[in-house]
Amino acid sequence: MDSYILAKKDLLTWAEVIKKNYNLFIPSRINDELFFSPFDSSLDLGLLGGNATLPYLPPKDFVFPQSEVLFSFSLQNGTQKLEVPEIGKPETVILGIRPCDTKGISWLDKFYQENFKDFYYTRRRENLFLVTVACNQPGKNCFCICCEGGPFLEPEKDEFDLQLIDLDGENYLVEVKSEKGKTLTGLGGAIFSLADIKAQEIRAQLEAKSRQSFYSEPTSYMSYAIRKITENSVPPEVWTELGERCFDDGGCTFVCPCCSCFGVGYLMDEKGKGYHYRFWDSCDYSGFTREVSGHNPRADKGERFKRRFYHKLSYQYVKRDGRIGCVGCGRCITACPGGVGMPAVVERIRTIKAQRNFYSGNK
Amino acid sequence: MKPMENIYLPNFARIKDIRIETYDTKTFEVEFINPEVKANFRFKPGQFLEVSVPGVGEAPFGLASNPNRPESFCFTVRAVGSVTNALHKLKVGDTIGVRGPFGNGFPFEEIKGKNVLFVGGGIGLPPLRSLIEPMLDNRSAFGDFQILYGARTPADLVYKDRLKEWEKMSEIRFMMTVDVGDAGWTGNVGVVTTLFPKANIIVENTVSFVCGPPIMIRFVILELLSLGFAPENIISTLERYMKCGVGKCGHCAIGHKYICFDGPVFSYKEMMKLPEKVV
Repeated sequence: MDSYILAKKDLLTWAEVIKKNYNLFIPSRINDELFFSPFDSSLDLGLLGGNATLPYLPPKDFVFPQSEVLFSFSLQNGTQKLEVPEIGKPETVILGIRPCDTKGISWLDKFYQENFKDFYYTRRRENLFLVTVACNQPGKNCFCICCEGGPFLEPEKDEFDLQLIDLDGENYLVEVKSEKGKTLTGLGGAIFSLADIKAQEIRAQLEAKSRQSFYSEPTSYMSYAIRKITENSVPPEVWTELGERCFDDGGCTFVCPCCSCFGVGYLMDEKGKGYHYRFWDSCDYSGFTREVSGHNPRADKGERFKRRFYHKLSYQYVKRDGRIGCVGCGRCITACPGGVGMPAVVERIRTIKAQRNFYSGNK
Repeated sequence: MKPMENIYLPNFARIKDIRIETYDTKTFEVEFINPEVKANFRFKPGQFLEVSVPGVGEAPFGLASNPNRPESFCFTVRAVGSVTNALHKLKVGDTIGVRGPFGNGFPFEEIKGKNVLFVGGGIGLPPLRSLIEPMLDNRSAFGDFQILYGARTPADLVYKDRLKEWEKMSEIRFMMTVDVGDAGWTGNVGVVTTLFPKANIIVENTVSFVCGPPIMIRFVILELLSLGFAPENIISTLERYMKCGVGKCGHCAIGHKYICFDGPVFSYKEMMKLPEKVV
């Protein structure tokens, strides 16, 4: 793997060159909230430092838009024709995606490209370049360390294009993992100089320090919850209790970098052209499994809540992909009005054990 | 470079025939318009299609015709929602979109040499028919062949002409019932399980196939278990609202299984392993 040094003062130059060739997005502040926004030179590059700065929404809409037309039907000269919309010039670079979000996209890559390649996902993904910035200092809701989601990407095992590590506030160490990454560093030319062993030492120290800097509140006993759920030993009343705190708003699923479920909608325009489109859907919603007969196999809120956490922590992990459906970004903590984001649920499952030990102890 | 396949795109098919089954149910016989698609289309008993009506929407339907004759194929539709009502308004010659076939399908080769028992309820008969017909084409490959069919009223029975033929066929044992009879009905009255004591059901070396509304499936399975059927010899289909048909949209997931992809056919043994109560 190649690694380079990039001086922070050259970041803007590089970004401007990238922008000439690609659609470039960076995290930027709009009022009090962060969003991935189209780059322009006036934006603050300060959000690309070592402090974890996560946009409110994950970048999944770059590959899996909130809604997307699949195709349209139209009657032409008496016969039905199908049309798949083109997506224009699609090559896009995200500069300043964090490791958890990069891993979220890796998770979606696996899901949407196993068994067959999802046409709509793949055509966007093939044209997406990711420049990850490692987190020297986790944020208050971060628990990626519990989910193999960060705080740094591991070049030996993780898939990524480029990873930038803020060494000292003045310089980045740039790790190049893919051909796409090489293309992007190639655009910068001489502003990238080869990194020496000293930079590697600083990287190791920064990663070790970051791993010790997580706040205790969100960090969670994931492995314990995974085991309890996989062996199906969480009492049903716990799911009922947690389900009662769920507002059925779907917020956690929409802000989740790994949530991939979609609904399919249909509409017809005034000219008689019919569209099929897909949109983010949520297993929180009672309508998610409701059938036209009125029969709803998952009408109960607790059952839906259970389904979501089983899917994230067990089904997909143990039985299908070998990875849990959570990268520890902490967005569900922010989004959930009922206070039942991932860490709270994991903690509730952990305290089932504590109570049982308390009552059935050495009496 | 070969363009990437897009599994979400339907192929156009033409409605060849429409048969009125009941006051709310029709069977559509369709064929693909593109000759290449038509020539290459094959399906297995128990698989399903995603059928779209341009401008209205798309919904899943079980294939209901004989897979040995794939040049045209049938599915049976009860008008209950927007897509099914729109289908009912179509005429012979109209164009629809079809994706599929999807799903695992019923076992066929694996059960040669065994006895077969079919228990169908209402419009649960159509998917079973995609298995019954090819088995009848190959009748000598199977042992005892029994079909029990029930519907709510005589007016709810589907495939009435075919039922009359089945009644006359000496190589199968066929019985039917209705929950509520009418003036012209002289047959059995009662739910499908009331046929069981009269049916001389053979349990030994028999595989049973059950399809119908969820409540009927539940009671039939209980009855079959009490007769001594092993859970692996009770085969049924699970119904969920399948949007994509290819294991991606998430709507039909139960545990780590996607009904559209890993199912819709499951043995009762497999159903018992799912982490949600399904029957």
